Amino acid sequence: MSFRQIKLVLQREYMTKIRSKAFIIATILIPVGLIAFIAFAAGIAMWDSEPEIKIGIADQTQQLYPRLANIDADRYIDVSELSEDSLRSSVINEKINGYIYLNDSQVTSNENPELVYGGSGGFALLNSIRSDLRDAIREERLQRANVSQEVQDIYASSVSLDSRKLTKEGEEKEDNTGFLSGLGMFMGIFIFTALFGYGGLLTRSVIEEKTNRIVEVIASSVKPIELLIGKMAGIAALGLTQIAFWALAFFGISAAAAPVASMFMGGNAQELAKSAEAADGFDPAALQLPQIEPMIFVWFIVFFLLGYLLYSTFFAAVGSAVDSETDTQQFMFPIMIPIMIAYFIMFRTIESPDSSLSVIGSLVPFTSPIVMITRIAITDVPIWQIALSILLITATFIGAMWLCAKIYRVGILSYGKSANYKELLKWIKQG
Amino acid sequence: MGVIEVKEISKSFGDTQAVQNVSFDVTQGRIFGLLGPNGAGKTTAIRMINHILIQDSGSITINGREASPETQHMIGYMPEERGLYKKMKVGEQLLYLAQLKGLSKAEAKKAARYWLERFEAIDWIDKKVGELSKGMSQKIQFIATIAHEPDIYIFDEPFSGLDPINSETLKEVVLELRDQGKTILFSTHRMEQVEQMCDEICLFNKGRAVLKGNLRDIKQSFGKNTINLEFEGNAGFLDTLKNVRINNRSNNFAEIRVLDGQNMQDILKTAMAHAEIYKFERIEPSLQEIFISTVGEDNINPKDLGQ
Repeated sequence: MSFRQIKLVLQREYMTKIRSKAFIIATILIPVGLIAFIAFAAGIAMWDSEPEIKIGIADQTQQLYPRLANIDADRYIDVSELSEDSLRSSVINEKINGYIYLNDSQVTSNENPELVYGGSGGFALLNSIRSDLRDAIREERLQRANVSQEVQDIYASSVSLDSRKLTKEGEEKEDNTGFLSGLGMFMGIFIFTALFGYGGLLTRSVIEEKTNRIVEVIASSVKPIELLIGKMAGIAALGLTQIAFWALAFFGISAAAAPVASMFMGGNAQELAKSAEAADGFDPAALQLPQIEPMIFVWFIVFFLLGYLLYSTFFAAVGSAVDSETDTQQFMFPIMIPIMIAYFIMFRTIESPDSSLSVIGSLVPFTSPIVMITRIAITDVPIWQIALSILLITATFIGAMWLCAKIYRVGILSYGKSANYKELLKWIKQG
Repeated sequence: MGVIEVKEISKSFGDTQAVQNVSFDVTQGRIFGLLGPNGAGKTTAIRMINHILIQDSGSITINGREASPETQHMIGYMPEERGLYKKMKVGEQLLYLAQLKGLSKAEAKKAARYWLERFEAIDWIDKKVGELSKGMSQKIQFIATIAHEPDIYIFDEPFSGLDPINSETLKEVVLELRDQGKTILFSTHRMEQVEQMCDEICLFNKGRAVLKGNLRDIKQSFGKNTINLEFEGNAGFLDTLKNVRINNRSNNFAEIRVLDGQNMQDILKTAMAHAEIYKFERIEPSLQEIFISTVGEDNINPKDLGQ
């Protein structure tokens, strides 16, 4: 293998792509699009409202309804005056969504109240009614038991959890698990998207050389394996450039955000605290990022690269096997499945980063690039697991490269029609 | 000693034997033609010489060295399926391809400029290939093939897809290169081009080399067994001739290969009885005729000969 040739291929791949308008536009538009998407999703969430629900309460105890009305006066309406028949017809005519008969036995014994309703509203509705009833009935029971105000307050109190993280070095730190989970998810989704994005770019680049019919000219100067490595490395370099650009832009903007915000609010650093309250509780200091372990970013780059390398071998093989981009579908499917599985394991990992599924997912080469980076961000992953994961991907990459190079070598020189799986097998045996 | 020496090479793809036991030598300063119908194994042989494919058995040496990435640099290769990066500029493209052939950046720059000027194409240096006309990009393709000034040039079906002007340019370039002492190998299934240009030939059929040697010698060895007949009148009499093979037949012309040594004067008499004869000439057989009689009429599909 000649490094000079690989370097030449790499340079061409990198330079022609990085100067292309499509690439420049994508580099700028992807973050803009991402922000727009998040804003849009947030907007939807704010705009989306629960439908108005009316539940009739026929309360024989006279005690429970006021408590329920206390909780949600819009939802619970008093229908004690109405007969059961008229309640039924109100539900059928959709004047109310449902009704509940409440009597003493629900307070004195453990008899469950019963909701008669039209069936719409889903679990969320049933859950919220259940918890409202539970609160109301519990309060009533406490009242009747004649317990002291003190005990009633105890029941009314709610407990949340604050947390601090104790590191191995014995330092106590502010716990930012929430933030780190977000970071882990972001990194996982980024690698997920990048595998498809850069992989697809490589597939198209291979197909382009075939359809332009230049590949045989190139093959008379360069070994197929050199061409393949050069192209893979060229697009990897392109990806790193893009990530570096986005990271610089992001940290640049974040670093500038706090001072700029305080400037706009007309205060200097000392006045920040004061002006924070004045400005509707907005604290410009909140724009500053929490402390992140720099090693996370190193691992992110490592797993991005390893994941890209492993999958890019397959993306390149697909490009060489087909005659036009529209024929790639049949081969893309098996590549997509493990990436999708990794994506779903990632969400489990965010909830429970040390579960056995997460650990296995972070070691299996085809899912580890996505799952491992999410775990690393959220939890303290033992170094041996990280090392094992890297070792396994590297070994799998070498095997995949060996296999795909065989397909690539034959594929780039076969014109006219796209191959099928049987032919791919034949090519592998031939090589 | 041959510049390209091919010794008993074979190559099969699965069950198909594309090339079987083929040997030939290409001598320096000659134009060597690889002929045969489509699918005869010419392209596979050429790819092996270019070290794009590796032969299953046999050996190929270029300037005395085993085919390898180094010998690739000694060859300028224009494949049958050819093209350029459409989105790359002409100058950058030539620079890239020449560097891949082992030239330094400075050398490649100089070579690209020199050849672009020679082909009066220097104005296109900053144009993308996709913006060029077909004829223009064909010129750039020649330049890409020859810019690193190798000793050996290999053209696979060079005239297919070329417009007439570029066809003529290529022919001139090839003859000029030969006169400079360079070695040229090209393949074609169009026999008439070979007759005009080649010094030596190797005939391929079904993966085997069935006939090879000096074109002149081969032709002479077949003797003047063919009649060139020009006439005016009803051409129907041609069908009554026995034991002949008629190639290149038209309304007033026929190339008649006499098969069993019958007296050619009899054919002339028959012709005179039916038509007015303008020309009657005994010649050496055409290459196509040689090809047909070598491999046997039943063994080829005449369509594959591009007639």
